[in-house]
Amino acid sequence: MSASLAPECNEVKERYDTCFLKWYSETYLKQKATTDECAPLFKQYEKCLSMALKTRGIDKMISEARDDNRENDAEHMRPKR
Amino acid sequence: MKIFQQSTEFDYSWEEVSTSNWRKYGAWNEKCQHVIAVDTLSRKIDPDTGILRTERLISCKQSAPKWVNSILGGQDTSLVYETSYVDLASQKVTMCSMNITWNDLLSVRETCVYQPSTKSPSNKTLFTQRAEITAFCGGWQKIKNSIEQFTIERFQQNATKGREGFEMVLEMSRKVFAEQREMMRLKEDSKILREANAITTGATI
Repeated sequence: MSASLAPECNEVKERYDTCFLKWYSETYLKQKATTDECAPLFKQYEKCLSMALKTRGIDKMISEARDDNRENDAEHMRPKR
Repeated sequence: MKIFQQSTEFDYSWEEVSTSNWRKYGAWNEKCQHVIAVDTLSRKIDPDTGILRTERLISCKQSAPKWVNSILGGQDTSLVYETSYVDLASQKVTMCSMNITWNDLLSVRETCVYQPSTKSPSNKTLFTQRAEITAFCGGWQKIKNSIEQFTIERFQQNATKGREGFEMVLEMSRKVFAEQREMMRLKEDSKILREANAITTGATI
């Protein structure tokens, strides 16, 4: 699995990625997803990452990108007709 | 603006491709050393549509030639913001990405789609890729054209490498999954053996 841009988050990222990949192939793709069992690991990873993004000033760039991406969300989150 | 477009087929099922797609930039891919980090920013299943939406931040080592670098400001890491949408109902993965560094000078917007191939939907996957490249450098049409041209050429090179690298990941994934299944089978078998043994000898497990 790929590294994190913040080396201090690598360990928790690795644990989350492993959990997610297992969930994706064994639960989500088989349409058995009810809860997100990797959520607690994601919370830990997110906590670490968001701090790193803030100190590097990347958080602002991301929030601008989110605004720019609204069209894609509107197009691809639309329910199938 | 310049447009890059291509499509290709992978000899793997949509399930395999969409799973391996998450580890596309990992250690199994020897052709993507420019990708140094991939971070997940958010991930959510839409309760109404079942669509899995993921936001990622991709960090790349810059390998642009000096003349491009000097125009664009000379940072050595570039960042890409990506949103992906997995729609299980229509078996479609859509990935949209844009550059968030240098974006006042250059805009690269890419959309990739993975869908089951129309001819053999159960074991082949169609991949389509489209990128729009726009440079903004005031009135310098010539520079603008050169930057767009350079970027599109780099895109073409990376698209070939991307395919080769992803093939490696797909092959490894299939191998590892097969090994895991074999391990599971052996475990199951040995459990049966243990139980059979226990029954014949009258011991409890």
